[in-house]
Amino acid sequence: MKLCALLLAGLLPCLGQTLTADTNKCFGNPMASVRLDVFSDFECPACRAFHTEMLPQIERDYGPTGKIYIVSHEYPLNIPAHKYSREAANYATAAARIGKYDAVADTLFQNQAVWSEMNGCKVDCRRKLWETIAAVLTSAEQKKVQAQATDPAVLAEVQNDVDLGNRLGVNSTPSLFLSHGTQRFALPWPVNYSIFRSMIDSMK
Amino acid sequence: MMASSKAAKIFVLVSRVVLGAIFVYAAYIKLRDPWQLFAMSIDSYQVLPLSMAETAARVIPWVELAAGLMLIAGIWLRISGTVVSLLLLTFFGLMVRAYAKGMEISCGCFGPGEVISWKTLLRDGVMVVAALAMTSLAFMNRPKTAA
Repeated sequence: MKLCALLLAGLLPCLGQTLTADTNKCFGNPMASVRLDVFSDFECPACRAFHTEMLPQIERDYGPTGKIYIVSHEYPLNIPAHKYSREAANYATAAARIGKYDAVADTLFQNQAVWSEMNGCKVDCRRKLWETIAAVLTSAEQKKVQAQATDPAVLAEVQNDVDLGNRLGVNSTPSLFLSHGTQRFALPWPVNYSIFRSMIDSMK
Repeated sequence: MMASSKAAKIFVLVSRVVLGAIFVYAAYIKLRDPWQLFAMSIDSYQVLPLSMAETAARVIPWVELAAGLMLIAGIWLRISGTVVSLLLLTFFGLMVRAYAKGMEISCGCFGPGEVISWKTLLRDGVMVVAALAMTSLAFMNRPKTAA
């Protein structure tokens, strides 16, 4: 019976969760045939590797062709070592509301060792987290982001991403989901870029 | 003596049907999805060059399917048991190596998404023991040929 249920679940991959998207956290052509949903945590070293190495490659190779649409989701891991993940996600989501998500996400990942305790920060990590973000914003933008980062709507948006990840079975970061037509595939991590390209290129 | 022989036969029957079903299911999951997903899982173990990982990703699911179906049908049990035992020993060895090295990778057993943990090691360890015992019994109980 259980096997039948598992087989049935396998036969119906298209009846899963509907993936939502904050359009301020997206890259590429919304009408693209391939969609990549990325669940990440700003304190996670593997997420930094994805964000600083693989993501630019994807954007460079597929941005001009309009074949892929990339959607970022927050998935701050609820573990003691990731003390400031949720706060960083709140700031990034607040920054998305003023069109600054990419700049804030880039600086958070690139300077992970500066503000993240598990990646090397020793003292004043919360202050350093904010200073890292503030460095890529004007003073007017800083005020907006600080105000929005505690806005219940922003907190709810981050939580919605986490809930969506939980429903999709996310249990580690980064978690990547590739959608094509009605099919959706969870990618194993780490992702070999050469194989990833072969998969994207085989999709019409 | 007869009781233990009967118990052995029941053990072989249950083991081959359960292991066969698991192998058919594992093959089905991999064949349903693009082969690149399994290739990424194999590549993440960092033991094979890319071209071999890609070839393995295309071949292994068919071997799993054939071996699983043969186990369930009970035909060529010594051959299918040996193939399944060797596959499981290889998978288990690679998983133990990855876990010991602290590699947080997907085991690739039933598609992506299952990170190697003591639970996956325990599950595969039990399957290895069952496969080895089943195959040994299949060899011990093979029909004697007339002189």
